[in-house]
Amino acid sequence: MRYPGGVQALDHITLKISKGDFVGLIGPNGAGKSTLLNVILGIVKPNTGYVRLFGEPISPRNLRKIGYVPQIPYSKDTNFPSTVYEAVLMGRIPHSSRFPWFSADDHHKVEHALKRLEIEDLKNRGIGELSGGETQRVFTAKALVGEPQLLMFDEPTSGVDVEAKREFYSVLEQLNRDLGITTVLSIHDLAVVTQLAKTIICINRRLYFDGLTTRFDAKAILPRAYNYPVEVIEHGEHP
Amino acid sequence: MLSSILSVYIVLKRLSLIGDGLAHTAYGGIAIGLAVGALQPRLVNINPYLIGGAIVVLGSIMITKTIRSARLSGDAAVAVFLELGLATGIFVTSVTLNYGFQLDALLFGSILLVEWSQIYAAALVLVLAIGAIIVFYKQLLYTIFDEVQARASGIETWKFDYLLAILAGIAVVVSIPIVGILLISALLVLPALSSMQIARSFKQTILMAPMFGLASVVLGMFLSIIQPHAAPGGSIVLVGLALLLAAMVIKKVKSVF
Repeated sequence: MRYPGGVQALDHITLKISKGDFVGLIGPNGAGKSTLLNVILGIVKPNTGYVRLFGEPISPRNLRKIGYVPQIPYSKDTNFPSTVYEAVLMGRIPHSSRFPWFSADDHHKVEHALKRLEIEDLKNRGIGELSGGETQRVFTAKALVGEPQLLMFDEPTSGVDVEAKREFYSVLEQLNRDLGITTVLSIHDLAVVTQLAKTIICINRRLYFDGLTTRFDAKAILPRAYNYPVEVIEHGEHP
Repeated sequence: MLSSILSVYIVLKRLSLIGDGLAHTAYGGIAIGLAVGALQPRLVNINPYLIGGAIVVLGSIMITKTIRSARLSGDAAVAVFLELGLATGIFVTSVTLNYGFQLDALLFGSILLVEWSQIYAAALVLVLAIGAIIVFYKQLLYTIFDEVQARASGIETWKFDYLLAILAGIAVVVSIPIVGILLISALLVLPALSSMQIARSFKQTILMAPMFGLASVVLGMFLSIIQPHAAPGGSIVLVGLALLLAAMVIKKVKSVF
């Protein structure tokens, strides 16, 4: 994958994500983690190679099976005039009828997602009034109302305080365990990855590791992938 | 009405100056229309607004295409087409000796010079355009809410970007006789900015924007009637700005209490 201007963002990456897996995607800044997610989502087209989603080429139909939570939602950036309820309801648009209104089923799914993410009390709040942790819960609820088979998170906890981070990761763990939703979490925090993920993918332009977390030898892999000595400190639990 | 509804989409898409760009493109387009009429007397009956309208819609599509291809940022693309339209207009009118013809009406608008045929055409266009907004309400909403997320969930956002561009082009052509080229972007920006100060949800924003737009036009017209020397275009925009200021004050007061 090469960007216009010649920057090679990804090189010779071959991987497969299994159903029900919880994948931690790690790599240093500029490693191509966001690009890899964008390639999977069909937002960026690779110069060579291909992506198959659920065994098929990328299409609007199979993209609807994916829930995506970006690092900083554009709407948050633009101070979009939307309540939490409206923002979550937008996750139903790709699945909703062709009529310009939402069905009772759409509204029911939104209520259910708000309840699961424990943000019912925020539903009338403007999305511009939310904290970082609340924002990520809202956008996870928005991804969830599409009843996805695959959830993808791009550095979802940047700028989120430690307590909110812990609660957010616990929600992701539950979604993967209880609903069996395949999860891909792009993240910086290695301690969190080793605690949460069943599989680790480590990239820095090219693939350095793709395998079970239990087989991930941080001391051997990270210095090569990060191009500098990395000290690995074991945490008792994720922060 | 159409401009007010569209203003919400345009402001949230961060294309607030597209109205200006398209209005100047319209100037070039209408100048070409007038030149065709002057140089080809047999085609003199072609309404220059029709040619201008077609060129504006084409210009709007080109601006969107330029932004989407990431060759230029939104503001730069608008600036390029603005200059292209203005330069074309000046060049064509000066070469064909039409310079000055209807220029005042074009630059500042004059609702009193609007013909019934233009009103009928505008009404038809409005119905079609608002119909398109209603039919594609959800997709347009998601496209402006977050285009990347919308694309990632399988919505073909490029279609709705172009739909928005075409509607913006139409709104500009329809609005030129009312406020003129120089003030057109006010109608495509102020109603949304005002309603966003007060509204707490998107639904409220999109319902309140036309109210602000209509209030600006009606009060602005009233102002130009009680003050006969006041040009309606300027009055309408000044009222729109006053309403924005009032909405900002209300927001501030509400945040204090």
